[in-house]
Amino acid sequence: MKYFEYSRAATFDAASEILKTDEKATVLAGGTDLLSVIKNEILEEPPSQVIDLKRIPETDYITLQDGTLRIGANARLADIAASPEVTRELPALAQAAWSVATPLIRNLGTIGGNICQDVRCWFYRYPHEAGGRIVCRRKGGENCYAILGDNRYHSVFGGMRCGSNPCTVDCPAATNIPDYMEQLRLGNPRGAAQILFNVNPIPAVTSRVCAHRCQEGCNKNESGEPVAIRNVERFVGDFALNSGELFYAAPTEQSGKSVAVVGSGPAGLSAAYYLRASGHEVTVYDSKPEPGGMLMYAIPDYRMPKDIVRKIVAAYEGMGITFVCDTQVGADLPASELEERFDAVYYATGTWKRPVLGLSGEELTVFGLDFLVQVHDWMDGKVGQEVLVTGGGNVAMDVAITAKRLGARKVVLAALETEDIMPAGKEEIARAREEGVEIQGGWGLSRVLSEGDKVTGMELKRCLSVFDENHRFNPVYDENDRRVVEAENILMAVGQQVDLNFLDEKYQLQLTARGLIDVAAESQMTSRPGVFAGGDATTGPSTVVECIANGHAAARGIDRYLGVAQRHICTGLQIEKPFLSFDVEGVKRSEALKLAELPLEQRSIDVEDEIAPDEAAALSEARRCMNCGCYAVAPSDITPVLVALDATLVTTTRELSASEFATSALKLDEVLEPGELLTEIRIPLVPGATTAYDKFRLRESVDWAIVSLASALATENGKVSGARLVLGGVAPIPLRLSAVEGYLLGRTLDSETIAQAQEKAVQECLPLWNNAYKVQEVKAFVGKALARLT
Amino acid sequence: MKTTQVSFTVNGREYTMSVGSLFGQLLPNELLIDTLRERLGLTGSKIACKDGACGCCTVIIDGDAVPSCDVLTVDCEGRSILTIEGLAAPDGTLDVVQQAFVDYNAFQCGFCTPGIIMTTRALLDKNPHPTRAEAQEALAGNFCRCISHYHVLDAIESIA
Repeated sequence: MKYFEYSRAATFDAASEILKTDEKATVLAGGTDLLSVIKNEILEEPPSQVIDLKRIPETDYITLQDGTLRIGANARLADIAASPEVTRELPALAQAAWSVATPLIRNLGTIGGNICQDVRCWFYRYPHEAGGRIVCRRKGGENCYAILGDNRYHSVFGGMRCGSNPCTVDCPAATNIPDYMEQLRLGNPRGAAQILFNVNPIPAVTSRVCAHRCQEGCNKNESGEPVAIRNVERFVGDFALNSGELFYAAPTEQSGKSVAVVGSGPAGLSAAYYLRASGHEVTVYDSKPEPGGMLMYAIPDYRMPKDIVRKIVAAYEGMGITFVCDTQVGADLPASELEERFDAVYYATGTWKRPVLGLSGEELTVFGLDFLVQVHDWMDGKVGQEVLVTGGGNVAMDVAITAKRLGARKVVLAALETEDIMPAGKEEIARAREEGVEIQGGWGLSRVLSEGDKVTGMELKRCLSVFDENHRFNPVYDENDRRVVEAENILMAVGQQVDLNFLDEKYQLQLTARGLIDVAAESQMTSRPGVFAGGDATTGPSTVVECIANGHAAARGIDRYLGVAQRHICTGLQIEKPFLSFDVEGVKRSEALKLAELPLEQRSIDVEDEIAPDEAAALSEARRCMNCGCYAVAPSDITPVLVALDATLVTTTRELSASEFATSALKLDEVLEPGELLTEIRIPLVPGATTAYDKFRLRESVDWAIVSLASALATENGKVSGARLVLGGVAPIPLRLSAVEGYLLGRTLDSETIAQAQEKAVQECLPLWNNAYKVQEVKAFVGKALARLT
Repeated sequence: MKTTQVSFTVNGREYTMSVGSLFGQLLPNELLIDTLRERLGLTGSKIACKDGACGCCTVIIDGDAVPSCDVLTVDCEGRSILTIEGLAAPDGTLDVVQQAFVDYNAFQCGFCTPGIIMTTRALLDKNPHPTRAEAQEALAGNFCRCISHYHVLDAIESIA
């Protein structure tokens, strides 16, 4: 057993003080659970010190006074089970206390310790010496092993979220992916879309061009391919875009404020949507003939069809957003005028400028972004037989594939980074390779080879490392390891820079050391009050979804600046469920949904490669999502009784109801403040009520409840006048059967009523693959409790 | 404040131990069963599951039968602990429970027997005339793999 310090608390407050200063300290209330956790090394980090509460004077009382039973937190379970007052007045509590573990354990265990015991899931409790502890989701890991593993003792009512899921954490916009997958499974694509729109107003774009880092940490990776979130989003994004005004409606209330958005790429579009939602008058300026920024001009049609961008812009116009194109802020419209005319201005001008690398012969090469913008000029055979693309990002991949599709026989892509650290998404790299692009990782640029004005190739030098030990970009080359790639065109897809032409001597914004617009992290406000900036112009080249998140943050910052509360276009479309669920068969499938693609020979630069999935395909893939959370059950025998009897729990700082204490969150540390300790339990007697605790377990001793039911029932003139039914052992928290209680009131407990109540008790059941038997137990216990009154 | 010393009695004998991590000191994380067996040489209490489930390590603390693997020795301040070694009289006369178990062959391999005897002793101290059902209930935390239960209950019935 790992070493810890031991001290004996003289008062609860003294123990609290220690807990507040040492977060690795823990309390010992009876010890039978705590010592087991420490002995078996269940947790990665054992407690630094154990504070014994048992010797705090006068804390183990059981007294009945003025119709209230008061029990000190240190009262032993054996004493509660044997107490004449408890046995007489609240048999349910005596029965529950008696049912805990064994007589030997009950001589040690206290009621406080029982209520606060740790979860009993056998994955969570797997002993360290028996092959290594399991760091499950509940323990701060990633996976809930009950989803695919043996879950015979787990919840039959669904799970609860436990920390943030990796897909959500890995998404720059923090999209609640598992929730929207669940809405799809519930047959509610509108609710799914609403979840996306909470953080991303252009899912029809991200579903096509986002790198979907969310899939990399997906827990399905452990048992197959990750959930094809991208492909599910493809359905939801198009669904939303085709849903008329549902997601792109004009706001019902106007704020009376006006905001100018400069740049209509992902950041500008994101900000414009949320600003309009809040009721502002929004005008979007763009220097190009059409809105959309990089979406319209840089990302090739085969990935980002322009009709989608145009449809989004039309939807925006329907919301009342005004687009002003062909207008270069700075040249056509002074920035100062913009600032005067609008209550706030948001710059999301992107990174369109070509950098000067200082390479010999650089002037003979073509900037990759220009190549993509002017791609139609290249369509008539301007591309040579052999093309070299430099760069390792998504733009480089787009450039390489486009060159190949324009007819280049051989396309070599040379990147500084080796493939494992290339910034481009894995899917994009795979796509480039599939189309025959030769990818050469780990090569830097040396010089352009030419004959007169004609490019003949480029000399590359081996790049040994890209980043230094501080993770700063600082490439190291082997000057002796060089090679030549022959090429007629060199397309440089490296280092896009921010264009700050709209600034002049009089109108300045503070810039960062990297030459980007400097903004406050929280509000996205620049050095000028009321002037905000975001997207690539403030971060350097990034991804579409990062820009969307950034634009949303700016909209929030602008709302705060203007003193207007942020509002949403669509609300209330979600189906709310008390617990998480997943599809027990779907999660077992290891293969992800693949989108149908045009065959290689039919692919071009202006027709989308991938064909959208239909609703059935998207739903089928959504069924593979495990909806990661904790699916263990609340183990205490005592808490269901306390919830059923409407007990009040007294802590060192306050009083709270048993239901708030035991059912408002998955873990106790989410309910209690640091250092807050349970000191007393108060249970009001209900004259005339019959209370009972029924417990099903494998052995008549030791075991925890597989199903238990705490009941408090009263009848008047043969009709039910009061009913409280709380299940234990079947859900992550004690589960009150409110629907059954409501149904029973005023009814006679005949066999028909009992049968109906039994059915209602299991209506919301979501059994896992190995625990459906519990559903039958729940029904049996409800029947048994009700039959007791007949 | 860190506990530095603990005093308790085992089988009527007083012990005071210095608590700490130096050589010879009682470790704050030491379990009572380990102290009994390793420090005091009282190996009559057995270790099987060491997780409170089997009852083989049962001792009587202040009148209550408890699994000594779920008790920290440092937590025994002022406690009076009785182990299987403390049951027989100094002259070797067995406790009535022990004698009944011998008379009824209420054991097979015997590994769980000290725990069962201690639980029985605590039961009889509180309830000198338990019914067979009461004895069964009191022994619900003592496991026997050899199925000595029936003889155990017969033995208890004979002295109840």
